[in-house]
Amino acid sequence: MVIVQQHDFDSAALVAQLRERTAGKAGALVTFTGYVRDYAPDQATQSLFLEHYPGMCEREITEICDTALSRWDVAEVLAVHRYGELHLKDQIVFVAVASAHRGQAFLACEYVIDALKTRAPFWKRETLAGGDRFWVQQREADAEKTEQWNQP
Amino acid sequence: MSGTAINVLYFAQVAELTQVRQESWPLQGPISGADWLAQLEQRYPQLAPTRRLKLAVNQFHVRPDSVIQPGDEVAVFEPVTGG
Repeated sequence: MVIVQQHDFDSAALVAQLRERTAGKAGALVTFTGYVRDYAPDQATQSLFLEHYPGMCEREITEICDTALSRWDVAEVLAVHRYGELHLKDQIVFVAVASAHRGQAFLACEYVIDALKTRAPFWKRETLAGGDRFWVQQREADAEKTEQWNQP
Repeated sequence: MSGTAINVLYFAQVAELTQVRQESWPLQGPISGADWLAQLEQRYPQLAPTRRLKLAVNQFHVRPDSVIQPGDEVAVFEPVTGG
C-alpha cells in the first residue's frame, strides 16, 4: 500500500492495521520512520518544504514496493510519504514490512527506503532560522547505496 | 499519444529558474532527451549546464538517450531528495 499525503500520519495505527492484515502469516514486522532534522551543519533548520510530482510519486513508490514484494519473501509492504510544509521533528516518511522472518523484512525495508530516496520525485527546500532558503542536493552516498541493490 | 507538441513540467529549483511550472513545447517529430535538453538550455540559459538535469517521460524516469515523442509529458528536475 502506498500513501502520499500532506497531513501527518499515525505510525502506531498503521502498524496496528498492518499487524491485523498479516496476522498469522507475519512473524516479523520491521518499520522505518524518517523525520525532519537539522540539515545544515552551522545553522538551525526552521522548516522544510517538500515539493512533489503528483501521480509519478505514487507510481514510482508502488513500483519500488512491488519490486520488494517479488524480490523478498514478504507478506506486505507499506510506504507513506508526506509533502508540503514540514517543521523540525515532523514525520516525513514511513516504511513498514511484514514477513514470516525478520531477515527478509529488514532487507525489504532497507531497499524500499534506499530506492525511494533516489527515485521518488520529491524535492526538499530548507529554510534556516535566519531566513535563508536553499534546495537540498542529493547525496552521492544515497545514489551509491541504491546502486548497490542493483548488483547481482 | 500523438500531437505536435510536448507538455513540459518543471519542478523545484528548475521551476524557480524558468519561472514557469508548465508549458506546451512545439515538437514535430521524435528527439533524444539529450538533444531536447540542449534546446531547453538555449531557451533558458540560466539552467546551464542542463546535462545535470533529470528527465521523466510520461511519469517514468528516462536516460538522456531515450526518445521523446510529440504528445509526451516531459518533466525536468534536479536529482530527487525525498525520504
